[in-house]
Amino acid sequence: MAKISLRDVEKSYGSELVLRDCNLDIDDHEFVVLVGPSGSGKTTLLRIIAGLEPVSGGDVYFDDVCVNNIDVGDRDIAMVFQNYGLYPHKSVYENMAFGLRRRKISKSEIDERVRQAGELLGIGDLLRRRPKQLSGGQRQRVALGRAIVRDPSAFLLDEPLSNLDAHLRVQMRAEILKVHKTVTATAVYVTHDQVEALTMGDRIVVMRDGMIQQVGTPDHLYDYPANRFVAGFIGTPAMGFLRCSVRRSADGDTELVSPGVQIPLPRERAAAIPADVDTVEVGVRPERLYLDQTAARSGTLSGTVEMVEQLGSEYYVHVNIDDAVITARTSRDQRVEIEESVKLTTDGAYAHLFDVETGAAYA
Amino acid sequence: MILPALIAIGVVIGYPIVRAIQLSTTEFNPLAGADPTPVGTANFEQLVDDPIFWEALRNTAIYTFGSVAIAAIIGAMVALLVENLSGRARVVKTLLLTPWAVPFVVVAFLFRYMFDAQSGVINALLMDLNITDQPVDWLVSSTWALPTVVAANVWAQTPFFVLVFGAALAAVPNEVIESARVDSTRGLAMARHIKLPYMRNAALIASLLMVVANFNDFGKIWAMTEGGPGYATTTLVVWVYRLAFTSFELGYASAVGVIWLVLLLLFAIAYARMLRRGS
Amino acid sequence: MAVAVSERSAPAARPAPRARRQRGGRAARNVGIAVALFFALAPIYWMLSTSFKPELEATQSDPSLLPNEYTMGNYQSLFNGAMPFGSFVVNSVITAAAAALISLVLSAFGGYALSKGNFRLREPMSFLILLTRMLPLVVLLGPLYLLLLNANLINTMLGLIIGYISFAVPFGVWLMKGFFDGVPKEVIEAARVDGYPRWQILLRVALPLTIPGLLTTATFIFIDVWNNIIYPLALINTIENQVLPSGLMLSFTGQFKTNWGGMMAASVLTSIPLLIAFFAIQRSMVRGLTAGAVAGE
Repeated sequence: MAKISLRDVEKSYGSELVLRDCNLDIDDHEFVVLVGPSGSGKTTLLRIIAGLEPVSGGDVYFDDVCVNNIDVGDRDIAMVFQNYGLYPHKSVYENMAFGLRRRKISKSEIDERVRQAGELLGIGDLLRRRPKQLSGGQRQRVALGRAIVRDPSAFLLDEPLSNLDAHLRVQMRAEILKVHKTVTATAVYVTHDQVEALTMGDRIVVMRDGMIQQVGTPDHLYDYPANRFVAGFIGTPAMGFLRCSVRRSADGDTELVSPGVQIPLPRERAAAIPADVDTVEVGVRPERLYLDQTAARSGTLSGTVEMVEQLGSEYYVHVNIDDAVITARTSRDQRVEIEESVKLTTDGAYAHLFDVETGAAYA
Repeated sequence: MILPALIAIGVVIGYPIVRAIQLSTTEFNPLAGADPTPVGTANFEQLVDDPIFWEALRNTAIYTFGSVAIAAIIGAMVALLVENLSGRARVVKTLLLTPWAVPFVVVAFLFRYMFDAQSGVINALLMDLNITDQPVDWLVSSTWALPTVVAANVWAQTPFFVLVFGAALAAVPNEVIESARVDSTRGLAMARHIKLPYMRNAALIASLLMVVANFNDFGKIWAMTEGGPGYATTTLVVWVYRLAFTSFELGYASAVGVIWLVLLLLFAIAYARMLRRGS
Repeated sequence: MAVAVSERSAPAARPAPRARRQRGGRAARNVGIAVALFFALAPIYWMLSTSFKPELEATQSDPSLLPNEYTMGNYQSLFNGAMPFGSFVVNSVITAAAAALISLVLSAFGGYALSKGNFRLREPMSFLILLTRMLPLVVLLGPLYLLLLNANLINTMLGLIIGYISFAVPFGVWLMKGFFDGVPKEVIEAARVDGYPRWQILLRVALPLTIPGLLTTATFIFIDVWNNIIYPLALINTIENQVLPSGLMLSFTGQFKTNWGGMMAASVLTSIPLLIAFFAIQRSMVRGLTAGAVAGE
């Protein structure tokens, strides 16, 4: 039940600027994921929203009220920590109840809320245990439960799944979303895992080097990355990049060319490239590269196979094209050998175009 | 909550330091009833020419670093010896630590007795084994008094090194030991090339703690020899005490203390450097 | 700061050709351990044995391994002889316990501030505390003496306790900081998110998690104080007000200088509380003292 806004938020430790120019509006009930490589400032940003770290510049608003000077305990948020931060000396029950006791809530209501949360998360029969006696997944649930019972206006989650094994992570992902649907509070979720971001977020905030790179829905980020970094960060396997010259013919057709590569561009894509630019960074998603030859796809890329990753249902074929390596996602029927020369096809309509210098997308 | 604690510490520690520095520039006998008389740097000038100062400094160095070096080496060896004791044999480890739990005054009494010229067991043993034909005057000889005091200190201090080195050895990752064994490293080579490097940091910390403890050690020495015979076992701490509380020259005693403070600071800085380089 | 004090399992049996050298090595190891045990325990055995010997036997130049004639006389005369041994014990227990308790409270606050505090001077302060641990006590003793003299606290238990606290607190703060460093940051932050003010977080979360640390610190200070001889010598000037170490030292001089039996009996009694305290905290002691140094975290 809170709208969270960041205005020009800045954070520095000594002379080191770890966050700058952070502007973001998070709607009520929204599930927003902050994603980025380590050191990108995503956790710092979350801790600033929580009030665990003061800002060095700019303002944080909860529902249009500036909370810069409101301490974490009074912001009505709940937080799930990467290492859970459970109270080791308290039972599961007490871990969840501890935050409520502070808030002058009647004993019976505390009891009811704790038991409800326990049921919702399937830890109802563990309430008497200590955190030490729980598995990683169970601790995770307790940490979530502790946040839920508080009925806060915002949930903040800091890489909550990073200590779980792959299988459990997928399961907990679904569970967190289920919980979010039930409690309908605003949620801000930090992760370094872009798959987690894509599967969970209503909107995703991509961060790098202390700056917000792009904000958008998962589809939007995937289809229209704002720059080369976002394009390469979002999607598995990652987008491949090639540097190409722009060849414009007299009759208005445009082609991207480099040794072994020739990709005709549709007019509307070509129009995005400024007239004075003659070299661009071209990005192609692996699923837009094909080993079969179809006339409809006029773009061709020739190279040699460097490596084949077998994933059972499909193969990732890494192809070396004039010393740049791009990845194609192919079906298992199309067998290729390492060192084999191959010709890939693609459609210029799906080529992503970036400025060679700044990495910004032409759109 | 933070402030009061810090202020309390500041007052308790800070006041005496400031006062000591101030006293060091005065001549002051509290028993004479007069106030301190400012004398500038006279105390420090006198100090440089005082042969007792240099003797005390030498004794401090021998007592402090001698004990630590010997105790650390023995401690490392013992730690390696008992490292793999398990089950019931672990009681050996505990027993080996006992000397550290013996009060200083008792350590002093024990060694006073064992090294007594007439009824001491050490002289009895030496004479039984024909190593010497007449009793050695351990604690009343200006040659042997300091080594005897060091021996008592080594006995009391070695368990600490055993303890710390034991913990350091237990912290050597199993994978490192195992991969060294895969490379056919064993026995002494394992100890030298694999385990000792892991003990380096522990050795630094433990030595620092014990160096500081020895710098400050008054009880064992005083209860054994009161700094004598003559000044043979007078370390700086004993000397300052003698100056301040037997001849009541508080000003001069403070000057010695300040010099000492400076020495310790230099040592601490050198040490902090070493530690930082290690990690 | 987790120092793994666990035992590593003994290496499994090695290939056959080495077996002989192995056995030789093991024998050498056992001899080494035996020698170490002898040196560690022989003086203590000697103390016990002598404390039961009559005076003549204790002073003879050819000492006996076991008392030829057992006597409790040495122990009895401690309590009804000229020396106020009973007062020493009482004074020592009172001052050491009081100093340990008060220092513990101050150390807990200070250590928490230095470990989890959020103020600019935290790092330099921590280093300063470490430095004060190195300060020569005797340098502080002169000014402290004058301070207590002015406050009319010379030759009082209170004055002695104040003296003890002044050297115990920096050490205690340093130890407690190490123990608080072992409390995960997230747990403290979780309590902040739960809305608790700092002092309540200390009381309800941090302290319950450092109970072993508190016990260790208190015991450590107790041992330090029990051992200290320079403060009572300087700050107490009548024999009845002395504590154990200084009192014993002052008593076994002059004609009593070679009362070995009595000296050893007093030594045994003085050692017992310390031995108990020591073995009670043996495990957590290393962790406290070497926090961070061993594991290199």
